[in-house]
Amino acid sequence: MNLSRDEQLHGSTAASRVALRDLRDEDLIVEVQNGSQKAYDELVARYKGRLFSFILRMVKDPDLAEELTQETLIRVYIHAAKYREIARFSTWVFTIATNLVRNKMRQRSRRPRTISIDPAPDEDHMPVDPVDHRADSSDAVQREELAEVIAEATSKIPEKYRIPFLLREVDQLSYEEIQQVTGLKLGTVRSRINRARNRFRQLIKPMLRNETILAELERIEARAAETDNDGQ
Amino acid sequence: MRCNKAQEYLSLEIDGLLPPDSLHELDRHLETCDDCLEYRADLQLGQRLLAATEPELPENFEWKLRLKLNQTIREAAGRTEYPWFEEQVDRWRWVRNFTSAAAVGLAAVLSVAMFMGGPLDNGPATPDNPLGGPTTELASDRLPLDADFRTGRAGTRAVSSQSPFMRQNTQPNMFAKGWSGQSIQDLQTINRLRVENQQLTNALIQGQIELRWLRAQLDTSGSNTLDLEETR
Repeated sequence: MNLSRDEQLHGSTAASRVALRDLRDEDLIVEVQNGSQKAYDELVARYKGRLFSFILRMVKDPDLAEELTQETLIRVYIHAAKYREIARFSTWVFTIATNLVRNKMRQRSRRPRTISIDPAPDEDHMPVDPVDHRADSSDAVQREELAEVIAEATSKIPEKYRIPFLLREVDQLSYEEIQQVTGLKLGTVRSRINRARNRFRQLIKPMLRNETILAELERIEARAAETDNDGQ
Repeated sequence: MRCNKAQEYLSLEIDGLLPPDSLHELDRHLETCDDCLEYRADLQLGQRLLAATEPELPENFEWKLRLKLNQTIREAAGRTEYPWFEEQVDRWRWVRNFTSAAAVGLAAVLSVAMFMGGPLDNGPATPDNPLGGPTTELASDRLPLDADFRTGRAGTRAVSSQSPFMRQNTQPNMFAKGWSGQSIQDLQTINRLRVENQQLTNALIQGQIELRWLRAQLDTSGSNTLDLEETR
């Protein structure tokens, strides 16, 4: 009887999927190289959220972010055979994503821009306005509104600082991994992350002293902790 | 230690990357600098806000990814030539060629049938039947040249019964039926009449030539009488 790679390795029961969860990313991509579809599904499950979060905060367009996330994961599958374990899998994936994002942003910057003749203040140096809660009768900050403000602040960090900043803060890559993804020197990575953090702090400073926002933040964290406990 | 340096250390410290001696130096600075203490609290709060506002994946993300991946694989396969597909392609090509050849052959047979006319068991040619063919005609072999469809009676005006190319109508009532309704037999009838028409045309042309020659003889003889015996 001919068995697929998935059946040979893990059988077809739900227990086999649990076994896949125990494997490292680097082991999973080797299974993908050997033709395992389930290993690829597991990698997608592990990385889809992180990739989407990183890309959305870079391009600030949900549809484009979804498209680029899918493109990244498709390239992982198509080019799986090219992966060699000289770098961590996460480094490889985020290198693909970063290159896609950079190309897209370069394409955008080449488009002709509309230039206003009215002198406007430099928006990059203006802090992001926090949500006006006095106008909100429910007196509760919605998570979506908070996310919007944070996304707005993040998008105002210059791109060369934003990439290492998001790779560190959102995707939890190490400095060495960020160095490999971006091709920068380690000292430059440290410096850029530090500058981006400083810039981000300036942008969100008005909301850092806002008690309503802090209360909502605690509620969100409590809900996330409950979800994690339920999952375990 | 100056605050700029302390903030640089703080960025490394929250990532757990500050060496012990630098950490000790930073602690001493923080004992006396409220601004840097606040700075550290803000960085940590910024991290919490980023984590709490993680964007959610669009609906059906994995389904759309699967669809796109399948499409990409199909497109890639379409650009690749597989030897095991060639056999199938050749087989269909042969079928297509056979169909084309059969269509051409059928058309050729029909064309020949149109020009040959009549059934294959044609009898010998006779004065009444110079083209040969069956002496007993079928209804389908007759064209309603002078049929009166209103009355159902056939006329006798168009073709003389003495014409060597036309047959005498022995069953006049059958003209009223017109076409047989069976296309192959009608085609044979049309074809036969075409041949007869051509033969009549040739005879007419021959007669006109003879007439011109006789007139010329009259002109050259200088008399209004023509010795027919000489002309023969």
